[in-house]
Parts: sequence; C-alpha cells; structure tokens
Amino acid sequence: MPGELPPAGATWSERRRRALADPAMRAAVAKSTRSLAAKKEAAFAAYPAGETMRTRAVIARRSSLARVDALLDELTRRVEARGGHVSRAAGPADVGRYVLDVARRRGVGRVVKSKSMATEEIGLNEQLETAGLHVRETDLGEYIIQLAGERPAHILVPASHKTRQQVRALFDEEAARCAVDPPTGDATPELTVFARRQLREDFLAADMGISGGNFLVAETGTLVLITNEGNGRMTTSLPRVHIAVVGIDKIVATWADLADLLQQPALSGTGQRLSTYTTFITGPRREGELDGPEEFHLVLLDNGRHELLGTEFVDILACIRCGACLNVCPVFRTIGGQAYGSMYSGPIGVVLTPLLGGLERAPELPKSACALCYACADACPMEIDLPRHILALRRTEVERGMEPWSDRLTFELWGRFWANPAGFRFTGRIARLGQRVYVRDGRLKGAPGLVGGWTATRNAPPLARESFHEWWARRRAPRTGS
Amino acid sequence: MTRKPSAGSLAEASGRDALVAEFVESWRGLEGDAWIVRGGRDEVRRTIVEAARIMVEDGGPATSCRVLAWSTADLASLDLPGLLAQQGWEHVPWPTGARAGEAAAGTNGAAAAGDVPGAEEVTRTQAELVTLAAASDLGITTCAWAVAETGTIALYATPATGRLPSLLPTAHLALVRPSQVVRTVPDGLRLLAEYMAREGDPPSAVNLVSGPSRSADIEGDLAVGVHGPRRAGVIIGEW
Repeated sequence: MPGELPPAGATWSERRRRALADPAMRAAVAKSTRSLAAKKEAAFAAYPAGETMRTRAVIARRSSLARVDALLDELTRRVEARGGHVSRAAGPADVGRYVLDVARRRGVGRVVKSKSMATEEIGLNEQLETAGLHVRETDLGEYIIQLAGERPAHILVPASHKTRQQVRALFDEEAARCAVDPPTGDATPELTVFARRQLREDFLAADMGISGGNFLVAETGTLVLITNEGNGRMTTSLPRVHIAVVGIDKIVATWADLADLLQQPALSGTGQRLSTYTTFITGPRREGELDGPEEFHLVLLDNGRHELLGTEFVDILACIRCGACLNVCPVFRTIGGQAYGSMYSGPIGVVLTPLLGGLERAPELPKSACALCYACADACPMEIDLPRHILALRRTEVERGMEPWSDRLTFELWGRFWANPAGFRFTGRIARLGQRVYVRDGRLKGAPGLVGGWTATRNAPPLARESFHEWWARRRAPRTGS
Repeated sequence: MTRKPSAGSLAEASGRDALVAEFVESWRGLEGDAWIVRGGRDEVRRTIVEAARIMVEDGGPATSCRVLAWSTADLASLDLPGLLAQQGWEHVPWPTGARAGEAAAGTNGAAAAGDVPGAEEVTRTQAELVTLAAASDLGITTCAWAVAETGTIALYATPATGRLPSLLPTAHLALVRPSQVVRTVPDGLRLLAEYMAREGDPPSAVNLVSGPSRSADIEGDLAVGVHGPRRAGVIIGEW
C-alpha cells in the first residue's frame, strides 16, 4: 500500500517564486549548507576510522533491509519481553489513533516532542491538536518553526532559513502570548535562555513524550535516539509515557551493525564525531528505578516503505537523514527547503516524497528540482544513487503520460527537427529571424516561453548572423566553382 | 622483595595516560570542563569543590549550592555528604527520600498517605523528584566507561544510577577512573555487550554524553546549554 504525505500547500510555481523572491532566506540557506558541507569534509579528513566504519555501515544497512520483516518480528518480541508495547502503523491515521488511545487511557493533556521526521511525515501534531492535546516541539529549531507555523526547511537544521531578528520577533510574540519576559536581545545566548526557560516548563508539565528514532536494534529491542540539545533525553526521561514513532527502515540486526552506524549521522550531518547525546532505550523504567517513563510504546511506521522493498528504489530506505545531500545540492542551495513542499527536501526529498506520497503528489520534484550534477551521489554516506532514482522517476512520469501536452509537443518537435542536419539548420534560421525583436546591445534579452526564463537572469549572446556550416559552404563555393 | 613493573604494564600505563590525555582533549574540544587528578582521594575531593565553584558560579563563592549525587558504593569513600557540608552546600543523595525508597522497593506510600492510590503516589514522587532535580545546581555521577576519540562518557540507568542527576541540574560533573577510558565508541559498545551478556539485558536507558548540550539552530551559531546541563565537567582520577 502506498503511503500518505501532507499536501504541498502552494503550487510549485508559487513556491519557487516565493523562494526566489526571498534574498534573506537564500543567503541564510547558502551559508548554512556550505558550512555544514565543509564541516563534513573536514571531519572525515581528520578521522580515517570514520570512513572505515562508513563502508561497513553501508553493508550493514542493506543486509538489514534485505530481511526487514524477520528483524521487525524479533524487535517486537524483544520490546514486549521488556514490558514495552509495539504497534504497526500502515499510515498517518493509524499512528494518530494509537497515540490518542494511549493519551485518553493515561489522561494525557500535554505532549512534548523531540525532533522527528516520521511524525512530520504523518502530520501527527495536527492530529493531536485537533483532538485537543497541547503539543510542544522542543528541538530549538523545531520550536522556532512551530511558533512560525511553518514546516522544517532542512532535515537537520529546520530553522536555518530564519535570521536571528526573525527568531526574536517570534519569541517576542510568544512571550506576549504567555505573559512572560521577552528575550533581552537577539544575540544567540539571549535567545537560547528564553527558549530554555519556556521549554523547561513544557518538559516539567508534560504527561507524554513523543520521539522519533535514529535506529532500532532488533537483537535487544533497543531504540537509538541521537540529539545534540538534550531534548531527546528530556522527552524520553521526564513524562510518564514515552511513545516512539519510527519508520520500519530504521532497523538494524545487531549491536555490531550499530557500532559502525552510530557515528555516521553526526559525521555526515554536522561534522561531529558523535552527537552530544546518544540514548539507547530498552523498554520502560524497570522495577526499582525512580525515573524514566512508566510506559514505553513503539509505533513502527510503514507509510509506503514496505512497498519499496524488492524494487529498484530499495536503497532509499538506507537513508540515515543526515542532510548531507541537501548541503551539496545546487538546487537546494538556491531555493531552500520550503520550496519543495515536503518535509523531505533536497535530493532525498526529490526521491522520497514521490515514493512515499505518490508520484502524483509531487511530479515537479524529480522533473524540475534536480540538475543531475551528481553531487548528492558523492555526498551520501550510505551510497544511495539518488540521481539514478531521479532519472527513473522522470522515466515513470513520461511512461504514465504525466507531463503536460506542451512539454510533450515541444520535445516531440525538438527531437524531430534535430534528428537530421536539414532540420537542425532550419531551426537555426527560424531562431535567427525570431530573435531580432529580442536582441538589444548585441545581447539576447528576453525571449518567449521557456527561453524567457533562461534569459531573465542571464546575458545570452544572440545566434550568429551566419552558422559555421553556412560560412564553410560560402568559403568553399568559389573553389568548387573554379 | 618488590618486583619491578614489567615492560608490558609500563607500556600499558603510558598507553593509559595517552588515552586519558586524548579523552580530555576531545572533551575540552566540545566545550566541556576537565580536570586530571593524580593525587588520589583527597585531591579528587578538593577538585570536586573547585569544579563545582567553576561550573556553578563561574569561579565565584558558590555560597549556596544544591548538589544531587548518585550514592553508589563506588562514591561512598569520597564522603560527599561530609565534603559538601564543609562548604555549607546542600547534599541530596540519589535515590533520595523515604517515599523514593518505597518506590524503589516496589511498594507504595498508600498506607502512609491514606486513600491515595498507590500508582498516583509513585507518580507524584516522580514529579517531586523532577522538581528537585530541576532546582539543583550540580549533578554528580560516575560513568560506566569513557571514549577518548570522541570525548564521550557512558551512563547506565539503573535503580541506583538514575537519569535525572546528569540531565536536569544546571551543571553535571562525572568522576571517571583512568582505567575506564577506552579508545573508540565500538570499544565502549563492546563493554556494554559484556554487561548485556552478564545481566541478560541492556539497561533501560544508556546515555552517551559528549560535552554540554549544544545547538546550532539560530543562524548556525553555536549555543551551549539549550536543554541539558549548561556545563559538563569530568574529573579523571583514582579515589
């Protein structure tokens, strides 16, 4: 069964236009992506062991995916043996129903969340808020995004498109809403102190913590959670109930597999050797323990993943959500994450969004949001061949006749004319006639249709008055005549 | 007759020093505080006070300081209650309090509290513990092992070694023995595998901590202490 993703919101042309018209956002994205990409390079260069582990981790991920069903069964048995509850969710509604059931049974009113792409994917916050629960995102970036009513713009640094002035304005509004002191300034420590104080209260008052998960270890039924801020630890230690919502693709067989994988999200994501907090959770608190959740629930999310097993796209499930492909992508660096209309942006989003949510939901992503430069294929620590998948999705779109008639006609005609020299020369003569109205000061400025978009930001030289073939023919003519 | 240390153990000792040095360098590189103590128990005790002053009060007098400390047998020889009392600081042992003791023993406080159902009583105890931990200035713990290459300490959650003392106080101080420092994360995970083989189970929670809480969510600018302890310190020594 295919999955379901929240709708994109605006149309592709609208999202693209908005992004290109936002220089502050574009500068912020360009800065953060370049910095993260450079940190990744430096981290691997200074740490050869990281590369050795990476190559083994690539194999570990694929071998786990090859027997995902058996591993999920083993994981389930282990979690249940340690007093945890496991539920399989086919899609967004299943997760929402399960979480709300637990919430009702345990009298939950307030929920804290640590950053999770899986819960973004299923719009869990909206589902819980509709049912009357108070939900607070606690990752600093996600908190900013939640206050702004936006979607994360980057897998790893969700608010990297916001300037500190924008963050301060959001915090000021929140302070007014909560009748508390606003931040004392827009320096990072001042903004951080405000967020820490506000979020502390949410943590201490919460009845339920919802987390995602970076990995699942089948052999012991262990959830692995990686954060830098410590909000993951808070979310899974303080509230009475902890629910982890994790994609079925996150499973690995053994601790030996995990040992090779554990440092990879940090190395490729931020250039750290290990994230600040790595937590291994095996069931709820045990007999005699004074802290930790009384109940532990693991919701295993399918949402279109299972269907990818055994297809040419299966290796997309090896993704560890490090964001390395976003940071090197020229398209992402230019338009930022929100233009993708999906929580998964950048090259991984171009592939994952249509694969999970259906090609009809985002036909524009494979078609238009990739320059086929292959930078992402080089950057991916799990060696996922993203460009090949993008090409395959483009091919599928053409096979299904999904492109508009104007595209089909354009490429049909183009192909026909340029298939032989006579046709090629003919189009040149037409273009030379046609460009006359658009040439000013010896430059091509403005043009009809697609070419207009090209020349809007570029200074293209016009076609020469005479082609090489024509020039050659003219030069040779007298000789052959003599 | 005393035996000279063998070449093997000398090499081992110098290897150990190198690991400790690498661990400290990595930890400091992550904005963490670190002290290497070679003088044994008394110097470790003095260093705890110094570390508390620096991490809680930025080197100031620290006239009032609430310290939440694991009270494991391993820490007993340091006499933390006596040490902290000398400074006029408040010492809160973990696990703590009569109610906590009852919760730990698997009973509940229903008999003492009258008609309050047991489960709720235990829950309230947890809420109290959370409030207490959040209002503490310093948490003191030991660790299961430490990793030189990444500047990491491993904390296992058990009844005696709870999660809150390393999480909620303003600062966290971990005491590390030089013999606990391993080179790589996989080396440390092998120690965890030994624990699992021995106990039949991983702990309910294992936390690998590499320096203080950090975030780069505002303009990529590093912020320390967003959620967890604002400062994280280690003292490496024997006691």
